[in-house]
Amino acid sequence: MIALLARWLHLTSSVLLVGGATMLLLAGPTDRPTARRWDAWIVGLGRLLTAIALLTGVIAVAGQTAVLEGRPGAALDLSAIVRMLLQTQAGAVWLVRGGLLLVLGAFLAVRMHLADRTDWRAARGEGALLGLAALGLVAAAGHAAAVEPDTATAIAVDVAHLLAAGVWVGGLPALALLLGLACQESGADARPYAVLAARRFSATALALVVVLVLSGAWNTWAQVGSVPGLLGTAHGRLLLAKLAVFAAMLALAAGNRRLVAALGGDAATIGRPAMRRLGRFVTVEAGLAALVLGLVATMSVTPPARHAQPVWPFSVRLSLGALDVAPELRSTVLVGSQVAVLGAAALLASLALRRLRLPFLAGGGVVLAAGLGIAVPPLVTDAYPTTYQRPDVPYHAAAIAEGRTLFAQHCTACHGTRGGGDGPAATALNPRPPDLRAHHVSLHTAGDLFWWIGHGLRQMPAFGDRLSPDERWDLVNFLRALSAADTARLLGPTVAPEPLWLVAPDFTFAVGPTPARSLKEYRGRKIVLLVLYTLPASEARLVELAQRYALLSTLGLEIVAVPSDAEPDALRRLGDARIFYPVVTEGARDILDTYQLFSAAPHVEFLIDRQGYLRAIAAGGAAGRDTDLLVADLQRLNAEKAPPPPAEHVH
Amino acid sequence: MRVWKAVLLMNLALALGLGVGWLWWGRQAQRLAQDLEAARVAAVPTGEREFRSTGVVRAGLGDLGLLVITHGDIPGYMPAMTMGFRTASPKILESVKPGDAVRFTLRGTPPNLAVTAIEKTAP
Repeated sequence: MIALLARWLHLTSSVLLVGGATMLLLAGPTDRPTARRWDAWIVGLGRLLTAIALLTGVIAVAGQTAVLEGRPGAALDLSAIVRMLLQTQAGAVWLVRGGLLLVLGAFLAVRMHLADRTDWRAARGEGALLGLAALGLVAAAGHAAAVEPDTATAIAVDVAHLLAAGVWVGGLPALALLLGLACQESGADARPYAVLAARRFSATALALVVVLVLSGAWNTWAQVGSVPGLLGTAHGRLLLAKLAVFAAMLALAAGNRRLVAALGGDAATIGRPAMRRLGRFVTVEAGLAALVLGLVATMSVTPPARHAQPVWPFSVRLSLGALDVAPELRSTVLVGSQVAVLGAAALLASLALRRLRLPFLAGGGVVLAAGLGIAVPPLVTDAYPTTYQRPDVPYHAAAIAEGRTLFAQHCTACHGTRGGGDGPAATALNPRPPDLRAHHVSLHTAGDLFWWIGHGLRQMPAFGDRLSPDERWDLVNFLRALSAADTARLLGPTVAPEPLWLVAPDFTFAVGPTPARSLKEYRGRKIVLLVLYTLPASEARLVELAQRYALLSTLGLEIVAVPSDAEPDALRRLGDARIFYPVVTEGARDILDTYQLFSAAPHVEFLIDRQGYLRAIAAGGAAGRDTDLLVADLQRLNAEKAPPPPAEHVH
Repeated sequence: MRVWKAVLLMNLALALGLGVGWLWWGRQAQRLAQDLEAARVAAVPTGEREFRSTGVVRAGLGDLGLLVITHGDIPGYMPAMTMGFRTASPKILESVKPGDAVRFTLRGTPPNLAVTAIEKTAP
């Protein structure tokens, strides 16, 4: 809590330093006494703010050390703090920033005689430069530095976001101060100067808001990435709160722009009340900005939404997948969306029109609502808190085999042995259990299935008290494999140019006493031919592969052979065949349980590309597949542009 | 002195300081990498050495005097892989069959190593 407060104070003071300095630069040098008084105030506050930034920075570093070391005591342990500063990237950034702030503090502490305009610009510009550098570097130690890939872009965008925020938000209090001084009876001399400053700030702020919105959108995509992430995680909700406050700030700012435009005329006719009102509004805007900075400080210590499990807050969601089940609704949705676009266009037009604005506004609103009313209902799908959760258990043969066992124990009575909805108890049920292999399963997320297994659905009882969460995820993985196996019937014995994007379930295996390896370790490196074989019929094929193994290896292939009886003594059985590719002696049972869902033939070969997608299934007797065809397939895969690797979560 | 000149000098000093810091940081990292490399090289003793590992026999190539073993990590020599090793005597070659889980000893001056002893670890 103290660390969070320190972070907030640190961020706020850094932002105010930047904003004050840039506001001074924007307003420009002057010789009016009140304006010079303002200049001196800002510099004096700058000294104070630098001291606060340094002090709270030290506290924040101590807090971060405690988090990194995983013990609260580390915050007071000098050696741990030194270690953090010298050995981590965040520490190095803190050191450089601390150094910059020290230089800034020293620079501001020197009393300078700034009679000359060039001197004034040099001095204030230096202050702004140091402040901007210290603030911009925050990005190099934040969440942006952890974005993969494209770390450099992420940091650059975050720097732009921080600096734009610093100049805009930090400039507000300085401007409010100037307006306040100019409103006083004694400050009349500075009024034209204040008006000029407000105008320049207003123009700059408009550009800065554009930068803020664009960089903010990019950051949101990088750190949150999805609607569930925005709505279902702490980080996402903080961002929503921040956006709400930001919207309020924008509304105020839009009003202020009008006030600034109204501050017309020469010095003599400038109205004090208008200026006072502007000053008050700018102060409110600055207050909102402080709130935003508090939210930002909290966000910086919250794990980014992309790395958190979202909890979906609504009981429905919108899904285009719903149209796959009911294709007849596609045209409805299409027409509805077009009507909605028409309405939106009318709304936009109303902004541009002066006459007829009201009719256009009302008509556009009605048309937009009607269009959405037509387009949205068909897309509505049931949703649950776990809908967007990623499985805690990976899509791995061990989990699928476990799921298969659990399915046989708990589910086959109704769902049938292969999930077809044809179990012995199914006849008594109305409606009948659905076919779990059917393609419409893809409409549901893994999180949906997880929820139904735990909480039941219609006639299906809840298994939440009988099965642990991991067991439920095992079942979900089994269902995913079942569905994939159904789709995999479309795969031929040779590679088709268009992949079906079927991820090959991961598996782990070992040959004798050697360390275990997994399919995933080959990802990005080797194409894998998984051979499930049965002796003696398969022996000729295994030997043939062994004889061509040198050629196949140079084409980037690894062969993994699995005996269909999961015999631990498989190597001895092969005798003097001189087969040197891995023959699985440990882990075979799980691999068989999983891959036999795809094909139960006694000899079957699965070709898995470098990205981990299943590309061909050749089932058959001992003949298996022609090795020359395999060579052609490998050459085709080697010539392919690498498709994107599969995401970790399921849809 | 005029303030703007002082600021200019200060900026030069800052840029110089940051540049030197950057270079020093790079040098430090480079030196660490070099030290690591030197330590790695120094850690590899020359002359005859002995390694022990476990594995499973894949084949005995009597004609070449080679024993093909899928072996685990051999620390300081090579990672786990399937590899043909020279045998010190034909007796070693004859004492094991494909599929045998074994514990074996390699002796020699890398990379010229030979299996000098082997025993089965499982019946």
